[in-house]
Amino acid sequence: MPRALANDLAADSAMTLNQASVGCDLQIKLLSGPSCDRLRDLGFCEQIQVRKLSGGRNLICSVCGTRMAISRELAEQVLVAPVS
Amino acid sequence: MSAPSLETVALVGNPNAGKTTLFNALTKSAAHVGNYAGVTVAVKSGEMFTAHGQKLRILDLPGCYSLRSTSPDEKIARDALMGELEGTPKPDLAICVVDASSMERQLNLVLQTIELGVPVVIALNMVDVAEKQGLRLDPAKLSEELNVPVVPIQANAGKGLVDLKQAMSHPFPPPAESPWLDGAEDPETARRDMVARLCELAARRPGEHQQTLSDKLDRFFLHPVFGWLAFILIMFSVFWAIFSFAKIPMDLISGSIGDLAKWIGTKMPEGDLHSLIVDGIIPGVGAVVVFLPQIVLLFLFIGLLESSGYMARAAYLMDGLMAKAGLSGKAFLPLFSSYACAIPGIMATRTIDSAKERLVTIFVAPWMSCSARLPVYFLLVPLLLDGKEGSWKQAAVLFGFYVLGTLSAFVVARVLRGRLGPDKQPNHFMLELPLYRGPQWSYIFRHVGDRAMAFLKKAGTLILGISIVLWALQTFPKTDSEDKGEQLAHSAIGRVGALIEPVVKPLGFDGRTGTAILTSFAARETFNTTMGVIFHVEESEDEEADRANLRDQITQATWPDGRALFTPLSVVSLLVFYVFALQCLATSAVVARESGSWKWAAGQFAFMSVFAYVASLIVYQGGHLLGLH
Repeated sequence: MPRALANDLAADSAMTLNQASVGCDLQIKLLSGPSCDRLRDLGFCEQIQVRKLSGGRNLICSVCGTRMAISRELAEQVLVAPVS
Repeated sequence: MSAPSLETVALVGNPNAGKTTLFNALTKSAAHVGNYAGVTVAVKSGEMFTAHGQKLRILDLPGCYSLRSTSPDEKIARDALMGELEGTPKPDLAICVVDASSMERQLNLVLQTIELGVPVVIALNMVDVAEKQGLRLDPAKLSEELNVPVVPIQANAGKGLVDLKQAMSHPFPPPAESPWLDGAEDPETARRDMVARLCELAARRPGEHQQTLSDKLDRFFLHPVFGWLAFILIMFSVFWAIFSFAKIPMDLISGSIGDLAKWIGTKMPEGDLHSLIVDGIIPGVGAVVVFLPQIVLLFLFIGLLESSGYMARAAYLMDGLMAKAGLSGKAFLPLFSSYACAIPGIMATRTIDSAKERLVTIFVAPWMSCSARLPVYFLLVPLLLDGKEGSWKQAAVLFGFYVLGTLSAFVVARVLRGRLGPDKQPNHFMLELPLYRGPQWSYIFRHVGDRAMAFLKKAGTLILGISIVLWALQTFPKTDSEDKGEQLAHSAIGRVGALIEPVVKPLGFDGRTGTAILTSFAARETFNTTMGVIFHVEESEDEEADRANLRDQITQATWPDGRALFTPLSVVSLLVFYVFALQCLATSAVVARESGSWKWAAGQFAFMSVFAYVASLIVYQGGHLLGLH
């Protein structure tokens, strides 16, 4: 069974961190990809709130009061949903 | 290290959690701060006394996000904690330094450290920043949940240190249990759940995102246009300041060296010993020590940029540009440091996660024109111009050689990176952008002091040795002739020069210049010293006058057929050789250590020497074909 959370409204509306707009507050729904462990070490864990501060080649996010710059490939592995 | 019975306390934590600040605050009363052989820079050791007067050894481990060890830095931290790092005893106590304002991110490492079975004390640092951000901290609750002592501190202001020292007093707390692992299938998930629970209990965050001063500054410093302008301005100012401010102390040092030589000269009777000290050792070592102010200033600025938080922004900005050379933004700091000296630059590559990118960065770092090339440039560039130093034309030519070295480094990096192939595991760019902070002077001064000592040690050992060997080679075997030129031609060095002349002639140099190149293979700074000896220039108090004097001699030098020895073309050829050749034994030794293989160091040395030879050959022979001279 795939790990996507079917029938979960929040997960259904999830997008990658790349797709999210700059300035948005987001909640991490799922990490999916080969660099999940590394992302978790940096603080990108499920349920944590992030704010996307800038886009581009590497994007900058605010995670738990710290700013992290991560590559687009990494951001592709972070599924987020806007904080309502 | 001495006194192995001393109990050891290791400082563990994420990068930017304040470990080094705490290390400095704890060990400031101790005079000795030493580096372990083999892991210099990475693990620092100092000593301190607890509240009860007990002496402890403190280890400052490199910052890491996890103990899974993906980068060399993290591996060192893990090995040190496990007692597997050579020369480092297993720590009796680990102090986990946690930035209180981002506990969600940092407690994971604490849990991993507790799981190793080491007694742990948590130093909850930067509580002031956390409170300003509206976090409600509960250290007592955290301590209760984890069953380890938790001490709130503010390391940069020295607050809470007494309590921390108290917690480090005997008996150390017993190793804590790790109940979150009980029955858990996946330790990662178990840890994550535990961290979430701990933060819910002991570090509740206000709901809304707050705009900090750092956020506002970043809007400017990371702006696609203004950010670059600021970057260029900052880097330009650093270089300008180094070259203009360093002049005064450099003049002072060279003046004092001249005085010393004169004073010793008058106190000692004439003879071989007199000649060894006055003609060999003092000018040889002096020619290197004179660069101390530049090295100190560069490290001062690097320290300032790093501790203020700007260096991470520079790496972020440079990532796109570095990608063109097949590297990432993380290679920026090592390459930038290499402009001062390749040795610290090569050591700084430890923060690069990708092993192949690290090797490539190490390989090309010596092409960033280091300050040891400057004396050679200062001697030769005026020969191309009007013979005077300090003009804007000289600055422009100098800049051109910096650009030549840097661009070549980037091209070679690109080719080499492509040849090494992709990493087994993809390494993506990720970088923490710490809060902007005021400079931490104690850290900066200590860092600068360490580097200055390392540089002086090099001058005091390697360069001293070379100076003595050089002196011996040019003094023996002796002739009865009083003429210095005849003596030199008769000496070992003169004979070597005659022997290698056919090798360097296609580059436009004679045996004398060849000899100077040969002697500078161990350390390129010695080129000037050897040229001075070969063209028998008397040392005086004024270094600039010495160089002008040497330049006069060089300009008058001729080939046996009467042609001028140094033409603009042969000077350019010589300069190009010095841009590319790896003439630094100390760098090779560090490359061998950092890359883990002598083959890599030998390959780098051979490649750069051949490259320099070929580049110089192309310049000279190509110039000839074009009718230049």
